[in-house]
Amino acid sequence: MTDFREPGQPSTGTQDAGRRATDSPAPAQPGPAPRQANRGGVRMRLSKVLGAVSALATLTLAGQAMAQAQCGMNTGQAATGEPIIVGGIYGDAAPGDWSSSTDSAAAYFRCVNANGGIHGRPVDYRVANDQWNPEAAAQAAALLVNDTPTVAMVGNGSFIEMAVNAATYEAAGIMVMASACAISECFETPNIVSTNQGPLASNLGAAQYAQEELGAQHIACIGLNIPNNGIWSCGAVNDFMASRGGQGTTVLLNPGAPDVNSALLEAMASGADTILINQPAGLAIAILNAAREQDLRDQFNWIAPTPLYDLSVPAALGEYWDGKVYVNAELAPLDMNGPDALNWVAVLDAFGNPSDPRDTFGQAGYLSARFFTQALLAMDPAQVGDRAAVSAAIRGISGYTSDLLCGPYYVGEADFHMPNRAGRMVRIVNGGFELVRDCYEYDSPYFAPHIALEAQMGLN
Amino acid sequence: MDPRLFRITPSGGWGLALAALAFVFLPMVSTSYWLSVFTSAACFTLALAGVAFMYARLGMVSLTQVGLMGVGGWVALRLNHAYDFPFEVNLILAATVTMICGWLLALPALRMRGLYLALVTLMAAGGLEIVFATFQFPNGGEGFWGVQTGSGEAFRRPWLAQSPENYLRYVIVCAVLGFLLIELHRRLQPGRAWALIRRSEAAAIAAGVNVTLYKTWAFGISGLLGGAAGALLAGSLGLLDDGTFRASESVMLFALAVVGGARHWLGVVIAAALYKVLPALLNLWGVDADLAFVIFGAGLLHAVITAPDGIAGQILGALRKKGGRNAAG
Amino acid sequence: MALKNLTNWLLWAGLMAAIIALLGWGARPNMLGLFIASGLAVGSLYALGGIGIVVLYRATGVLNFASGAAGAAGAMTAWQLVAWGWWPPLSWAACILVALVLTLAYGRLIAPQLAWRDPVVKAVATLGYALILLGLVSFLWIDEPRSITLPTDDVGVRLLGLRITATRLIVFAASILVVVGIWLFLSRTRVGLQMRALANDRSLAALLGIPILRVETIAWGIAGLMAGFTGLMFANLIRLEPVVITFMVIPSIAAAICGRLESLLLVLLGGLSMGVIENLLTLDPTLRGVRPIAPFVIAALVLLWYQRGARLTFGGRD
Repeated sequence: MTDFREPGQPSTGTQDAGRRATDSPAPAQPGPAPRQANRGGVRMRLSKVLGAVSALATLTLAGQAMAQAQCGMNTGQAATGEPIIVGGIYGDAAPGDWSSSTDSAAAYFRCVNANGGIHGRPVDYRVANDQWNPEAAAQAAALLVNDTPTVAMVGNGSFIEMAVNAATYEAAGIMVMASACAISECFETPNIVSTNQGPLASNLGAAQYAQEELGAQHIACIGLNIPNNGIWSCGAVNDFMASRGGQGTTVLLNPGAPDVNSALLEAMASGADTILINQPAGLAIAILNAAREQDLRDQFNWIAPTPLYDLSVPAALGEYWDGKVYVNAELAPLDMNGPDALNWVAVLDAFGNPSDPRDTFGQAGYLSARFFTQALLAMDPAQVGDRAAVSAAIRGISGYTSDLLCGPYYVGEADFHMPNRAGRMVRIVNGGFELVRDCYEYDSPYFAPHIALEAQMGLN
Repeated sequence: MDPRLFRITPSGGWGLALAALAFVFLPMVSTSYWLSVFTSAACFTLALAGVAFMYARLGMVSLTQVGLMGVGGWVALRLNHAYDFPFEVNLILAATVTMICGWLLALPALRMRGLYLALVTLMAAGGLEIVFATFQFPNGGEGFWGVQTGSGEAFRRPWLAQSPENYLRYVIVCAVLGFLLIELHRRLQPGRAWALIRRSEAAAIAAGVNVTLYKTWAFGISGLLGGAAGALLAGSLGLLDDGTFRASESVMLFALAVVGGARHWLGVVIAAALYKVLPALLNLWGVDADLAFVIFGAGLLHAVITAPDGIAGQILGALRKKGGRNAAG
Repeated sequence: MALKNLTNWLLWAGLMAAIIALLGWGARPNMLGLFIASGLAVGSLYALGGIGIVVLYRATGVLNFASGAAGAAGAMTAWQLVAWGWWPPLSWAACILVALVLTLAYGRLIAPQLAWRDPVVKAVATLGYALILLGLVSFLWIDEPRSITLPTDDVGVRLLGLRITATRLIVFAASILVVVGIWLFLSRTRVGLQMRALANDRSLAALLGIPILRVETIAWGIAGLMAGFTGLMFANLIRLEPVVITFMVIPSIAAAICGRLESLLLVLLGGLSMGVIENLLTLDPTLRGVRPIAPFVIAALVLLWYQRGARLTFGGRD
């Protein structure tokens, strides 16, 4: 007799019907906070936002007297003066809503504006939706970079816009402090730097954990057949395994294909002992469901990058996978209440909308905005309205830290940027997540130039 | 050469006038955002012309035009990254290759009519979608497919049209040339053959018209225009992404051709505006992209139900009635 | 006539055997079996979608692009009701009911106004409806990972080394039941007869006194029920994402083409063959990446095969 699993139900039992819920919010459940997953990958908002937030808020209030949002100059006075125009591009259309990074960045900038702005000037944050469409992405960049005197782009979250617009950014001399990146252009072009790790680093982290702790000798990486996403990241995993005396196989999946079974069978046929599900959450769940149909749980190690670190995933997967799926986390888990983590929630509560998702990309967006503000506050006030000066200041960012990150954040003068290259591993248990390895630096030949750059900047 | 070949009809005159106005004023008044939107709309006008004329003149439905645009764009990109030809050469080669694809599509499909023809083109569109998704678009890499991680060098635009403003003008000129090409065909023998085939294939055969040749030729022209449009789109964006060339987009393009009105050039322009300018406007106004879908679908349904000749037909009908009243009164 | 049919059947059987032998050459037999079984599983989904489309097309002449979207709307409703704590079987019934209502709404309110347009325009209009439904569903439910589980997911049998869950067996059984049921309905019942007359010539049927609207309503109703069931199955067996479920209509049309848009049995066989070939292509290193193209290539080839030797018609319809 099997019990019918009700997907999407968190352990607190609160429910939220979705962004347009017309029913009243579920009552907050006091007590231990549900393990809330950091989100990554190709989907966005939690539908249990209200329950999660109220629970978190309860915990926060219980833990500290009054969590005040701290941002910018912290004067408590609204900024007046000529606005500094900052842009952001997010993707919100089927198949995913990647707006949480720009939502959090917007909330942070509102907080900054209420606290004296940047050298007394408010930030005018304008965002555009690329609708997962390359033409719309090009138009968004045309609007925000060419038509508007923006000084920088902050909080970008998209699957495609970085590829379309990298050349535009370079030509315009504008820096992009992105937050939700999934393609190689985000990490291998001069003008884009992200606070999230992206698929290459996150997959390497998962593979490294599996090789070191789970005894993986042969990893089959099931990735999307997109060159600057799946092929790029799975290729790096194969190189990593080769460098550790093991083996890696790439299995490519067409994102539109209705059938994930054949990819799974291909991975099995390769002779691997570990399956790395390098997919957005929807496809990853489909693959794990197919694996469950075949009862493959105990025949392989199951690992995944950040997209599976998401509150709705354990519920969607069910008890079958408890304790069996290891997921890499790009930023600090939500139940690790460090100062930045708490401040982020405080900022969202005070200056954001109730519907803004409280997930990993939100944290990344908050971080991008925070680091941007920090960099500009360190600048000469007369120059903060000038794009070239701001770009130079951003490139000069070095050694900014946060409890959300495992290592220091930096930009530097280079054609590649991947400051976030150390993370944590978690495991899906009992409808939530459990930390199995704290901060560790990913060790791969890919990072040699990054290590050299860090040495040059005095960060090692 | 018969001088009547170059006679400009009133409708043609209005069309050329509109094109001239757009040529001069549109780039001047547009911001960077609208330049990008209008260039895209102009490229799709060219593609829509190909779909519309086939449907209006021959009753043949092509649900794969955006896929053919993808083919043209692919060829243009590959040639651009592999060789040093000027843009115009890449454009002509891309259009020619796509025209050949149009022929290949036509030959087996000739015996089919109506829905079956549409379905075969839909299958072609589905197939092209998979091919683009699997092999992606060239961006400077090695090998036949020419794909690498990360982008390569920039796409070389025409010598005359390096800036976005001039490129918009260039695309407008190409669109006008496309319309003129179709009109030229209409006035010469192919046009007469097509008219007879539309009326009755049996009569055409009886009259000695080579039906196979002229139908294939029409598909070829449609492919030519689609391929040119794809190459121009590649020049506009500098790169292409498989998301633009899905099968659903091809079906949408045909649907809009019907909505705009396939018989008239105004209908084609309206269709392109609906396809590219309206969503850009809605996006600028902050309308949720999902709601934009709803508006689109509702508009499509409404237009299909109430306007068999498309929106252009309704406009022209209204103008004609007014003109009639003016003439009478 | 019978000989021509026999030739076709033999040709199909021979081609399938040849393809299986060619692709499976050098593969371990148990892997081959796994891929064939997996192919049958996905092929039955194509067939199910195709059957729904052909059933409606035969009755009304409308190729319904919106069947996937109606199914997606139903599936999301079912998920939402379960999330609100409803008893699961009620939510499944709600899924089918929602799809039924949406399809009937189109069939009663919009389709009659387009009855005199040519079939392609009618199909294009259903695309407009599909966009409306897809837009509304995407608007109401934020994109996030969801799944629908059914009790039958945990029960299964082994076929050729692959574990086939009861859900997949239900899909297969349902396809067969629908094929048989529709055949009986159309050939043995009065309404079925009226439906065939209607599909043949709508105006003549009206002249004969056949209650057009009533018969069409029944046809759209059956299509709606099938769309709802198909949507629920897609949601469970593929993934619960509205866009994916909506655009499964294109491979479904590919399966429908295999049946010439009229023979349900051929749609079933065509869909199954497509699934098997698509999965077997995984074994070929060059074609492995482009294997989702299999349904489209097969459909195009089948269509061309059916049209070979066709003469041009003189006037009238095709």
